[in-house]
Amino acid sequence: MLAELVQHLVNGLIVGGGYALMGIGLTLIFGIMRVVNFAHGEFFMLGAFFLFTLFSLWGVNFFLASALSVLGVGVVGAVVERLVLRRLRSEPIEIPMLATVALSVILQNAAILLWDPSPKTIKHVFSPLPLTLGPIHMVSIRIFAGLVAVALIVGSHLLIQKTRIGRAMRATFQDTDMARLAGVDVDKVYMFTFAFGAALAGASGALLGAVFWVYPAMGDLAALKSFAVVIMGGLGNFLGAIVGGLLLGVSESLGAGYISSGYKDAIGFVLIILLLLWRPQGLFGKKVLPR
Amino acid sequence: MRSRVTWGAVIAVVVLALPFLGVDDYFLHLLIMTGLFFLLTAGMNLLLAAGQLTLGHTAFFGIGAYASGLLAIHFGLSPLWTLPAAAAFTGFVGYLLGRLTLKLRGAYFVLVTVGFAEVIRLVATNWMDLTQGPMGLAGVPPFNVGTERWTLVSKRDYYYLMVVMAGGTLFLTARLLGSRVGRALAAIQSNESLAESSGISAYAHTMLAMVVSCALAGAAGGFYAHYITFLSPELFGFQNTVTMAVMVVTGGQGMVLGPAVGSLVFTFVPEFLRMAAFYRMLLYGIILLLVVMYMPRGLVFYLNALLRGRTAPPAPSADADVGLAPAERPDQGGPTALAVRGVTVRFGGLAAVDDLSLDLGRGEILALIGPNGAGKSTAFNVITGFQPPNAGRVQFDGVDMTGLPPYRIAELGLVRMFQRTSVFPEAPALDNVLTACHRLARTRLWELVLLTRAYREEERRHRRRAQAMLRFVGLDRKAGEAAKNLSCGEQRLLGLAIALAPDPSVLLLDEPAAGLNAVETGELMRLIEAIRARGLSVLLVEHDMKLVMGLCDRVVVLNYGVKIAEGTPAEIQRHPEVIRAYLGSGEIFADA
Repeated sequence: MLAELVQHLVNGLIVGGGYALMGIGLTLIFGIMRVVNFAHGEFFMLGAFFLFTLFSLWGVNFFLASALSVLGVGVVGAVVERLVLRRLRSEPIEIPMLATVALSVILQNAAILLWDPSPKTIKHVFSPLPLTLGPIHMVSIRIFAGLVAVALIVGSHLLIQKTRIGRAMRATFQDTDMARLAGVDVDKVYMFTFAFGAALAGASGALLGAVFWVYPAMGDLAALKSFAVVIMGGLGNFLGAIVGGLLLGVSESLGAGYISSGYKDAIGFVLIILLLLWRPQGLFGKKVLPR
Repeated sequence: MRSRVTWGAVIAVVVLALPFLGVDDYFLHLLIMTGLFFLLTAGMNLLLAAGQLTLGHTAFFGIGAYASGLLAIHFGLSPLWTLPAAAAFTGFVGYLLGRLTLKLRGAYFVLVTVGFAEVIRLVATNWMDLTQGPMGLAGVPPFNVGTERWTLVSKRDYYYLMVVMAGGTLFLTARLLGSRVGRALAAIQSNESLAESSGISAYAHTMLAMVVSCALAGAAGGFYAHYITFLSPELFGFQNTVTMAVMVVTGGQGMVLGPAVGSLVFTFVPEFLRMAAFYRMLLYGIILLLVVMYMPRGLVFYLNALLRGRTAPPAPSADADVGLAPAERPDQGGPTALAVRGVTVRFGGLAAVDDLSLDLGRGEILALIGPNGAGKSTAFNVITGFQPPNAGRVQFDGVDMTGLPPYRIAELGLVRMFQRTSVFPEAPALDNVLTACHRLARTRLWELVLLTRAYREEERRHRRRAQAMLRFVGLDRKAGEAAKNLSCGEQRLLGLAIALAPDPSVLLLDEPAAGLNAVETGELMRLIEAIRARGLSVLLVEHDMKLVMGLCDRVVVLNYGVKIAEGTPAEIQRHPEVIRAYLGSGEIFADA
């Protein structure tokens, strides 16, 4: 009984780590650029497909292939920012949003043409036998995925808090005009932010892709869930995305275990609606007053 | 105007005659789908006029479809009844969702509607007893009027039914967007605080848009159910949501014809792309991206710009002065217009306003001054309902109005001007003021939809009033200019005209002279004096001591949220505490 609960919790935390990675990317992009990125799921999907291509098709070393995949998605993100979003910066919020919707259609259909729609698995280097720790069973790829997610979350935190570009990002987040006056190259910050957010989604896709299936539409549900994550945590809030991601992972895992697996994917959204009744600005959001 | 009528008539004739012009059934089907998408996107467009993009309309479409289908199957009712019932039910579901979500703005609202649609999709997939899940619901009866004889069978029949429904939708949305409701929605999008403080309830108006919008989606769903006669959870697919968002934004948001053009173009574009076979959806995405990038205002906007070389707006007519309200204001509640009693606001441990009491006499000009951060704007926010106080009360004409929402306070006759943007930037100056006449409207919703005589009279009256207000502040020659193109000083004056439009008895001005030069400040003082002469009471926050000392009857001084002095300008200038409080911030009385 208790063992089952713990098992659900651990499963939930590992998937939740992937959600948190997605959420951090999305929340950074929104917080700094005011762009709701509907192509986020496609960056997730690209991460998985890059890994599949490099590792499963071309036989590159698994760890090197993972790193290259994440980097590759970052490059795609940078190109998208430079060619599309930069030109739409002065438009109202729904215009860049719709542009990312168009990008998601393009990327997903490009993936269908490049890799065909059938689901694929990545035969990773880890043993398929589960490790047993007391009452808990866990295949090692999941443990690997969980550890990498934690490392990436901590790494992102350090990047934002300790590095030069991180400081520029925080400044832009607080007040774009002031940041520009203080000599921050805002164009560069935007480009880096979008690339970084995309890369985090790609990392999440590569990790979960190695655990589950890889197919062109895999990003749809992932994107919806990362939206749920950032709303729970408050749009633009880093800590909120982590908490929201873990919360969603755990509640889905518990919901699937104890309520119904058919409704598993609805749990996040029901949570949101309940949460918004209580705090309309999300868990960590702030209210603003007029002047 | 005439050419618009002619074009409308030509289009109507073509639409009605089309099925007899030898088009095939598939083409008619595409036109029917265009109409269906128009119903959906016209509703989304209403919400978008208030700046709220919903990506959850597939849910309402699906709810309407299942509701009408299930009612017809299980109760044997004619679709003539189930379709309106489904629309009403969907409108009600929209009301419930609106209760939860309409306080959300921008991206939050978008994402929550996405989530809602996903929940509904999962329910439709998993609630097997009701919907038969992924297998789908077959055997929905075709549209009929109770008897077999009056059953719609051919594409042509459904085409005409759709023409009726789409025509009704066009009429309804055109009336709503073209009236004070449309102005209110645009005002909410453009400057919600100002809209509220002009007496426009953001909640009530977005809710109206939400309910109408959802009912239209439900009607579209009901139509679809009896047209296709088979329903499955595929209806809720995110792809459909994307299609609708594409149509409404690329068509031209906030414009009546935008959804119609968007629906037409993006129903037919995928058909033309069929020849591209495998590359169809990829091309679709690329076309969409190009339209968004190079025509972000929507197709109708660029068509308009192409058709006419930007016609000049009509010059304001020199009508009789309906300007500032005469002295017919009943003298309610004694000599005090506004009474603030022991108001305290704490942010965390810090008291921004601490036990503040003040009285504004009828016809008085009272200044609230103090160094930056003294709590003046917070006090204003409490009085106008934007910030609930931790303690204390605010009475207006003897009525307690603590805790009322801003628009209610404005309706009672207390209106404020904001410190920063006190205009609706995108709209022409005249429309800015016209929007703010909202609280004076007495006609009902149905009257403005049906364009009754009383409503038209009222519109004319308000238009004259708005012109008079512009003339009063000296902006009548800028009536057609978008507010954002006016100079800083002109924008302040426009802000004043907006504040006067709802016919307030008390006016709150937050730094009205900020950014004005000496000449403009002098003009402003003259205007405030004239406003008082008409019987209004004025409470103002101002840093310009020349204005404060030259204009005000009394002055209240705040420092760190506490009232440290109160008296006539002469008394205040000699007050030792005031001098001490201001020592750090320079010699403020030097130029007084």
